[in-house]
Amino acid sequence: MNRPTAAPAPRGEGRPLGEILRIAGSVTLYCALGGAILGATYVATNRYQEVARAASEHRSIAQLLRLGPDASVVEIRQYLDPARDQVVYRAAPRGAETGTELTFALSGQLLGRARAGLRGGEAEEGLKPLGRIFVAMQGDSTAGFVIEGETRGYKNVVRFFVALDAAFDILGVRVIEHEEDPGLGAEIATPWFQGQYFGRTAEGASTLDVTKDPMPEDWRAALLELQRLPPAQWRSRYGGLLERESVQPVYAVTGATISSRALTMGVRSTVNRFRYRWSLVSPLLGEKP
Amino acid sequence: MSTAAVPRPPAPGAGRLLLNGIFAENPVFRLALSLCPAVAVTTTVMNGLILGVAVLVVQVLSSVSVALVRRSIHPRVRIPVYTIIIAVWVSCIDMVLAAFFPALYAQVGLYVKLIVAFAIIISRLELFASKQPLVPTFFDGLGMGLGFLFALVVIGAFRELLGGGAIAGHALLPHKPLLFFILPAGGFFSIALLMAFFNLVERRLSGGAARRPGGGGGAHG
Repeated sequence: MNRPTAAPAPRGEGRPLGEILRIAGSVTLYCALGGAILGATYVATNRYQEVARAASEHRSIAQLLRLGPDASVVEIRQYLDPARDQVVYRAAPRGAETGTELTFALSGQLLGRARAGLRGGEAEEGLKPLGRIFVAMQGDSTAGFVIEGETRGYKNVVRFFVALDAAFDILGVRVIEHEEDPGLGAEIATPWFQGQYFGRTAEGASTLDVTKDPMPEDWRAALLELQRLPPAQWRSRYGGLLERESVQPVYAVTGATISSRALTMGVRSTVNRFRYRWSLVSPLLGEKP
Repeated sequence: MSTAAVPRPPAPGAGRLLLNGIFAENPVFRLALSLCPAVAVTTTVMNGLILGVAVLVVQVLSSVSVALVRRSIHPRVRIPVYTIIIAVWVSCIDMVLAAFFPALYAQVGLYVKLIVAFAIIISRLELFASKQPLVPTFFDGLGMGLGFLFALVVIGAFRELLGGGAIAGHALLPHKPLLFFILPAGGFFSIALLMAFFNLVERRLSGGAARRPGGGGGAHG
């Protein structure tokens, strides 16, 4: 370590090489020390952060599907295996360590079925995550689905959940993570904007689009009520409006058409992909490997 | 701002240092440092409290770190080294909050990362921690952190009460008296009013004698 007496160094070209090296060396040392502290903190806290994130996701799922306390949730993780051109699904009840693994060719042909763990390490296997599906069961019947989707927003990736009922009609959309501009693109995460997806049928969702037309005032007022009333009550009060608007395109946030379109197209492709994938996976999940 | 290594007189006692940070050189009401974040987060008492605690912890950890290694920090690169030290501790606090207090983190997470750029922290490192031994530095950091926390909570309470008619989320008034105080401009007015109030109190206490406001960091902005 250098002495504090090194302070008034000569200006300009007269600076000795040794001092430059000492400065570089000490700053490197501080960076390395700081890196070590950050790494240790990350290792110590990451596990708890994952637990907290999982708990908040589970709350979102229960709210979107309005699940009772006795409902159970099966989590399906989807992966692409680029090296082998395969799609892998791993399904397990929430909290379970192991579950069913299904492997498909890209053509949709079933290649294999096995038991597999659901506890991390997918990146080491060379698997690329394609999002997750949460299947909620109330007793023996399917209460609904929550599908994790991703879309390219105006600034960064926007992550969202789409909730579907058993007939694949949309129960709700919730933006989970985004970095859009406050006051502009961030409006896509507001209840009134997300409310526009509520009640759209599977067919309507597969051709969703965005319009720059202004949102009718009566519809805006109805959407603001959506978060306050239970869905059945809301439907009975605003059923006529819903019938009129659920076949219309989504009204874009003023000044944030790109963010609005990004979320809408993300919801559309997420629902379309889910319907295809679920048709492949669902007949096989019930059976024992 | 001079960087001269003038030898400082020995540091005052722990109690003096603590009170100095809270009253005589309160970071917000006296030194007028870090006003922008103070305005941004103090729309409610709770936000002010959480960010104040985060700043307190970062200030103490950074001051102590600098006091420990001050002899080995080359004077030419001291500012980058201070910044590294602050950034490391802010990132640690950020991770700890995200892991153990996810609900609070969802509200103030954005501002926690900004603590790296708070003028009050680096100014205490430059003015105090780099020149004093460990123990006085600890109390100086603690005092400054408590002073900032105190200021944020007072401003937050003032704005939440006047702007939202509530304190810490409990509605006290049936309506929102002056919504203006929740807005950013109202934040600056709140600070100005509270600063004037503290000046008045101080003048009364010191028997009307005009006092020069405590200096020591105004040049940092």
